[in-house]
Order: sequence, then C-alpha cells, then structure tokens
Amino acid sequence: MKAIIHSALITIMVLMAGIYPANAQDASAIIKRMDDVMYSPKDMTGKNKIVLIDKAGKEEVREATIQQKGNDKRMFRFTAPASQAGISVLSLPDDVMYLYLPAFGKERRIATSAKNQNFAGTDFSYDDMESKPFSAKYTPKLIEAGANVFTLELTPMTQSDYSKIVVTINKTNFYPEAMDYYDKGNAKIKSAKYIFNKVGNYWNAQEIEMTDLKKNHKTKMQMSDVKYDTGLTDEDFTVRKLIQ
Amino acid sequence: MKKSNLFTVILAIITSVSVIYAQDDNLKISGSLLTDERFLLTDKNDWAWNENRLTLKLDKKITSRSKFYSEVWLRNIGLPNITSSADLYNKGIVDPVNFELREAYVQLSGFLSKNLDITIGRQRIVWGTADKLNPTDNLNPYDLEDILDFGRHRGSDAINLNYYFNNNLSLQGVYIPIFQPANMPIGIYANALTHEMELPQGMVLNEFSDTILMPRYNLAQSSTAGLKFKGFVKGVDFSLSYVWGYDGLPFATRNTFIPVDTFGGININSQLSFSRTHIFGVDMATSIGGFGLWAEAAAFMPDKNVIMTNDFSAFYPSSPVPVTMDSLLLDSSEPYVRFVLGGDYNFSDGSYLNFQYMHGFINERGQGNLNDYFFARYEKKFFNEKLKIAPIGGGFIVTDWNNIKDNYTILFVPEIAYQATDNVEMSLSAAIIDGKGSGVFSNLNNFDMLMFKLKYSF
Repeated sequence: MKAIIHSALITIMVLMAGIYPANAQDASAIIKRMDDVMYSPKDMTGKNKIVLIDKAGKEEVREATIQQKGNDKRMFRFTAPASQAGISVLSLPDDVMYLYLPAFGKERRIATSAKNQNFAGTDFSYDDMESKPFSAKYTPKLIEAGANVFTLELTPMTQSDYSKIVVTINKTNFYPEAMDYYDKGNAKIKSAKYIFNKVGNYWNAQEIEMTDLKKNHKTKMQMSDVKYDTGLTDEDFTVRKLIQ
Repeated sequence: MKKSNLFTVILAIITSVSVIYAQDDNLKISGSLLTDERFLLTDKNDWAWNENRLTLKLDKKITSRSKFYSEVWLRNIGLPNITSSADLYNKGIVDPVNFELREAYVQLSGFLSKNLDITIGRQRIVWGTADKLNPTDNLNPYDLEDILDFGRHRGSDAINLNYYFNNNLSLQGVYIPIFQPANMPIGIYANALTHEMELPQGMVLNEFSDTILMPRYNLAQSSTAGLKFKGFVKGVDFSLSYVWGYDGLPFATRNTFIPVDTFGGININSQLSFSRTHIFGVDMATSIGGFGLWAEAAAFMPDKNVIMTNDFSAFYPSSPVPVTMDSLLLDSSEPYVRFVLGGDYNFSDGSYLNFQYMHGFINERGQGNLNDYFFARYEKKFFNEKLKIAPIGGGFIVTDWNNIKDNYTILFVPEIAYQATDNVEMSLSAAIIDGKGSGVFSNLNNFDMLMFKLKYSF
C-alpha cells in the first residue's frame, strides 16, 4: 500500500512539475500580455483588404483604409467596390458611432444595436472588430498550457452574443493564433485564425480569417501598408474628418 | 435644355476633366447608372416614370487639406410628349434628355485658421438628424420632381464656413446669394402638391394663368443666410440653427377674376410670390438602450403677413374703387412648427426597423394646416446581405383627426432588393396608396404602381 501511495505521489509531483510553467503565469497575466501585444501601439494606419468567400468558394473583395488611435478611436473608410466607396464609419469611446454615406452627404449617428450585426457583410461582428482589450471584456481561465501555446477560455463580463471564446495564444510572442466563438447553447459558431508579422516594434495581425461555421462562409481581413505611431491626434477622429 | 447647349456643356466637362486629369492622376472619376421604371397597376398599366440617369462624380484632392468635387446628372427622363408632326422634328421631345450640375465646389480645410473650413461653389448643405424628412433642412431648394423621393434637394451656389471650437463644438455660417425656388413634381405626380381651387358659387373656371414674382436679384433680396451651432455633449448630438431665407414654394398673393360670359365662366390670373421667412431649428440624435433616437423641429416665421387678395373688380366695372377680398394665409406673429421624432433598431438576426412621426409636410404651411405622418420600414438581409427584403414599408397619414375615415392615407411600399454583383443592385418595389381627403399622398390615390430600379456603380 505504501508503495502505491509513494508511486502516486511521485506521479502527482511529476505532473505538477509539467504544468508548473503554466501556473507560473496565470490566465489574467497571459491575457494582459496578449492585450499588450495587440494594443500597445499608440496609433495605426493601414490598408485593409476584405475577402468574402462563400461556401462555393466564390470570392468578393472589399477594400478600405483604417486609422486607429489607442483602443477606442477608429476611422474605417471603404475604397472599393465602387458601390461602397466613400462609406465611412467613425467609432469613438462609449459606443458612439457615426456612419457617413456619400449619397446622403451627412453623418448619421448609428444606434448601438448595430453592434448586434455583422460588420459590412463580413463574418466579423462589430463586437469582434472592437479593439477594446480582452482583459477588460472577458474573465479568462487557463485550460491548457501546450508546448507552444496557451489555451484560455474567456467568459464575457457583460452582455455578449457569445457564451465564451476559446483562444490559443502563442507562448513565445503572446499573440493570438486562433479563437473559437461559442453561442449561448455552447455550440461553436465561429472560428478565427490569425497570422501575425512584425512591423517595426509591434506584432501586426497581417491576416485574420474568420469562418462562420453555420453559414460555411469565410472572411479574410488582410492588412497592408501598416504604419504604427505616426502621431495621429484626436482631431483625426472627428465628424469633421469623417465628412471631408 | 437645347441639344446644342447640352453638347457644349458635356464637351466643356470632358475637356476640363481631361485638363485636370492630365495635371494630376489623383482625380477620381466615379458614378453610377440608374434605371428607374415604374408602371401603374390600374387602368391599362400606363407607364408612370421613365428615367435613365448617368451620375458622374469627379473628386480630386488638390492638397492634403483641399479638394474639388463635382457631381453631374445626364438623364433621359420622362416619356415622349408628341402631339403634332412638328414634334417629330424635335429630338428633345422625341427623346427627352437633360443635364444637371448637382454639385461643383472647392473645399479648403484649415483656411486662414486651422479650425476653419470653407466650401465655395454649388453644394448640398444637409441639415438635420432625421431620416430624409428634415424640417431644418432649408438652405437648398427642394427637388420635388419625384414626390416619392421627398427628401431630395438641389445644390445651391454658396459660401459655407465651418469653424470648429474643438472636436465637439462647431459653428457654421452659410451665404447663398441667389434664391432658387423648389422645382415641382412632374409626370403623373404633377398635381400632388396642388390644391383644388374653391370657386365662389355660380362661377365656372374657363381659363387659369399665373405670374410668378421672383425676388429681385441683388445682395439683399435674393440672398439666403444660415447659421448653425452644433455640438456633442454627454452622448447627445445636437444643433441649433437659424435660416433667413424664403419659403421655396410660392403663395398665391393676388387672384384676378375676369368674367368671360354670362353663364358664370371666369378666367383667373393668379400672381404668385415667395415669402421671406425666418426659420429657427433644433435637432438631436443619440442612442439609448440600443435604439437610435432623433428629434428635429423647425419654427417658421414669415417676415410679413402673407395675404391673398381676390380681385373681383372686373365684375363691377362702374365701381370707383377696386373690389377685393383679402384672406390671411400666414400671420407673421404666429410661427408654425414642423417636427419629426424617430428611431431605429438593429436586430441580431440582421433585420432593421426604422420609424418616424412627422408633423407637417413640405408643402404644408400654417399651424392649422399641418398634418400627421407616421412612417415605418422593416427590412431583413439574407445570403450575406445580397438579398434585402422590406415587407413593411410606408406610412399612415391623417389629415383630420376628427374624421379619420374620410381624411387618411395608407401608403404601402414593400421592396425586394438584390445585389447581383459587387456593383449592381436591382430592386423591385410597389407603391400601393389608399386614401381619402386632401393630403399629398391621397392625391396619388389612383397611382398604385410597380417600380423597378437597377443601379450600377463604377
């Protein structure tokens, strides 16, 4: 009996030694490190190519320019296709959003319920597009510490379309590699894959591929000409700029 | 517009485009082709509307803080109105075409001060937070050509200054030197805004003519000016505005009655003029509980009383003094207020609801003459937004709450739109109108129609 207990203790100690590195960095610290990687630039400008792929593999392309300052100011301007060129969205803190439609010639305040919907026909919701730090929106729980990645389960702190998000985080550089989104019935409904590259001192999400598993529809968001910390000011994120 | 003139204008545009294009390849040329065809569901399915509109937009960034923009419409609109063989020699009648310079302006940002933007040229200056129904949007003349597109305005030749105190507060000043009246509905909509003339008992209208008195074209009389203070405080967008302008629709200020026979037949010559009006506006927009909410109101105060004089002197040739009867149309001491309250909501299934209540339509003047309009639209998108169905769209209008059954209009406008390619959208909609009384839309009671539109953007 003693031998069995001894053997079990050794096994537990070996197992604990195996997971020690994971415990050394708790889930909150990991998610904060990921936020640091994703949101540490003061500002960002770039071109965005959105490729919509339906279940038959047919592609549609939309193009836009993005300017972003901090986590809560963003200007998104469509440049193609022609039917959407000029449509712009200004997102400001506290869920204040404006839409500019060239055909109307004025800005229009968007109801916050617009966040319930997908962004411009993509598989990303407005919520997914939001650049608010994950640590401010979700309670993290470490599920697994693999050889190269951490796997965390994120539970929304406030009302959300998702019951949880399971995120896989690169263990070396702390950028996300994949995210799986679950609905209230705990069914996986969307899945995102990330490709990061380094631009200057920052890790840049060069491509995000979001798959809507129900519709079998994909959206690829590809960033190019990315520049960080160019000195954008609050004045670049105003209605004045939106309508110019 | 004569064909030769049209050709000259088009040539001038193409030449200027070429010159600009040669100077800088940043000139963006974009636009669209819109085909808009409508036919009546009653009678023998008469054609109600025929429009093929080529919109050309030229947009050029001159420097990082200045730009040139223009928009022109080249249109084949209307149906051939051929009444004699002579008309067959006139291509403008056989195949009606027109040209419109909708906008053409230069905008300078940070002009003289980094907080000042100036825009000079023909431009659309859109005021108001409501959807298309904007009581405070009074600087540009109404373009009422298509009464079903009732928010449309034309551009005005204007100087438009915007001074930004900070990122949330601004002051706008606009000066428009030349007054332009609204253009009236055309085709089958031509009588939508005109009221039936009530004649004294025993009189029968033989002939009607009118004369319009335009304001004198000088700095004082033909000018319109506007001022708007706009802000954002505690999540609410708001503005306060004032316009010193004209009511764009004329009033009949003198009707001269001339007897033409002994059976009560009369000719009427009506003198029409425009009323100088002070317009005080206020609007707001915000989002509460996921709902987008807006409100907009404008108080219209005529500069002078608007009086209609009926001149019956021709009936009394021996009278030493003119025989006239005056009616007060608008009292300058009693402003009337048009307003809109509205909201919208986006549902998580991709559907969208928009609703608005409006008190007072474009052509309704005087506190006692303003009617109530309830508009709603519900739409849902399918197949990654390629298909949009709006099963509920339209309005309910009451012109007399004391007798609704004889003074109402129900306007039902369902729509299906399909995005055939990235740049081609087709839509099929209907306008079913049922009503009684004297409202704008009840005048269209017999014009139930099916509408097809195709828009290609480039």
